[in-house]
Amino acid sequence: MPSVSFEHVGKRFGDVGVVEDFSLDVADGELLVLVGGSGSGKSTILRMVAGLESVTTGSIRIEDRDITQLPPRERDVAMVFQDYALYPHLTVRDNLSLGLRLRKVPRTEIDRRVRWAGGMLGLDALLDRKPKQLSGGQRQRVAMGRAMVREPLVFLFDEPLSNLDAGLRAQMRIEIGALQRRLKTTTIYVTHDQVEAMTLGDRIVVLADGRIQQVGRPIELYRSPLNRFVAGFIGTPPMNFIDGSLESENGRAAFVAEGVRVELPVERMPATACSEPRTLGIRPEDLRIAAGPGSGTDALDAGSRGRVVLVERLGGTSHIHFDVGPHRLMASVSGESLPEVGDVIGVQVLPARVHLFGADGRAA
Amino acid sequence: MRLLARAALYAGLTFAAVTFIYPFLWMVSSTLKPPFEFGTLALVPDRITLENYRIMWSRAPFGRALANSVLVAGTITAAVLVLGSMTAYAMARLTFPGRRALNAATMAVLLVPGQLTLIPLYTLIVQLGWIDTYAALIVPYLFNATAILMLRQFFLQIPQSLIDSARMDGMGELRILFTIFWPLARPPLAIVAIFTFMGSWNEVLWPLLVVRDQQTMTLPQLLTVFALGGGAGTLGVSLAAAMVLVVPVVVAYMFLQRYFIESMAGAGVKG
Repeated sequence: MPSVSFEHVGKRFGDVGVVEDFSLDVADGELLVLVGGSGSGKSTILRMVAGLESVTTGSIRIEDRDITQLPPRERDVAMVFQDYALYPHLTVRDNLSLGLRLRKVPRTEIDRRVRWAGGMLGLDALLDRKPKQLSGGQRQRVAMGRAMVREPLVFLFDEPLSNLDAGLRAQMRIEIGALQRRLKTTTIYVTHDQVEAMTLGDRIVVLADGRIQQVGRPIELYRSPLNRFVAGFIGTPPMNFIDGSLESENGRAAFVAEGVRVELPVERMPATACSEPRTLGIRPEDLRIAAGPGSGTDALDAGSRGRVVLVERLGGTSHIHFDVGPHRLMASVSGESLPEVGDVIGVQVLPARVHLFGADGRAA
Repeated sequence: MRLLARAALYAGLTFAAVTFIYPFLWMVSSTLKPPFEFGTLALVPDRITLENYRIMWSRAPFGRALANSVLVAGTITAAVLVLGSMTAYAMARLTFPGRRALNAATMAVLLVPGQLTLIPLYTLIVQLGWIDTYAALIVPYLFNATAILMLRQFFLQIPQSLIDSARMDGMGELRILFTIFWPLARPPLAIVAIFTFMGSWNEVLWPLLVVRDQQTMTLPQLLTVFALGGGAGTLGVSLAAAMVLVVPVVVAYMFLQRYFIESMAGAGVKG
């Protein structure tokens, strides 16, 4: 039985549609990540589950109970907010226990749960402090503890790490993942950060303009994006795109754009007419470069060449930005011997790893 | 040279401070002086006496008036805080039809001078048969547009996530207002409380219009009637009556003063 199921859920603010026809089942114990840019509707979906926004159309069920019209307190969900939303005038202990006291949970049970969550999150020594006496990471833990002590059916996380600095964010990301695996509580996690999505999610839902673009395991989204948006959104650094068209000759197909020609493997041969515009997508890690000019023409294929315009040295890997014809591309490479700006380099793509998108943006 | 300038500055400031505080101190000391000492400007009486207070207390029901004033000002202050914050919360954080109109109307109320509504309000009180009642003193002041707008402005700054979080914790709107917003809004609430209390405490004109019975009179009203009506007899007795009026306000201010400085909103959110 799915833990949370959305059936054709839609949300409108006046004339503006924010979420359109959102249907999805979240499995019991799953960590589902909703990812998308701002305005994609991801936070609105979360707030609809929480009961903080009304649902315009469709319904939401939690463990077979229709919660669409229930007030927040009757939904058995707990939420962690982006700005933590701790009550500033209450101590950590009171912040943790307030929700339970309002639900008339017995005193001894409240104490047990506060000790349990405090121990699990390392808050024991901080229980009598006020939020302003805590660091960002500690406040984040208190916010998680407040959700945990409720022992809800579903956890909701609304961009919980975006107020933390980079180092702490990575650490808290690991902690949240570990905690969720331990508690096995169904979790819906909203973020705009695709690295968080990739590392945390059992499954990822990519959203744009209030619509689902693709749902799948992180590696599926990375390897087989269904459209150009997902291809560009998932993966760091982002995928290179070149607009052009297909040509077929003697039963062989090639992608052609100004200064670029990539022979495609037979299995990528399109079924439809070739003349319509296509977009070629190449992940930076699927581009190979070699110092010195390649042997062949300007064509981007085995033995083509480009001119380096920028080298970003990150230590382990480096990003080489270069021009092939009018196209600015980027390759992600490891190793010590890197070209300099202005160098002409040989470029190879792995034809089996390229992505093709039609004029409508869908994978072709 | 700089030392000289500094000394001059302090001298100037001291002079200014003395000009403000001297009349008050003189008043305090004069209430403790016997009548023949009033002519002097000295701050320390040669002979201290409480005779002025005794005379004042015996000539008019000042004890009763003090109780009336506490009742009237206290009720009005409590009502302005409770009803005002409820209105402000609704205007700041809830969506309902007519919210914008309510905002505009509250603002418009501020633009109408109080003197303008004095006569219609008086007529209304007469029609209601409230002359010589506490209701006449209290009811017209239960809502205060300034307080509502001030609290609304503060409530607008409280992060939405705190409200969301409280709702998920199972609180209703009233509970959110009084258990989350009130503790955060202590500084503006204290300011509203002080201004409302002082405004009500010092009000003379309105009580003079609607109350003629000495037993219902507020302190400043009775004082005015007492002093202007020649009941005091000596200056010392008049000033002693004025002291009774001013002391509670000073005490209230000292008690609430720290809230002016204190500001704790937003401490639990973000880093």
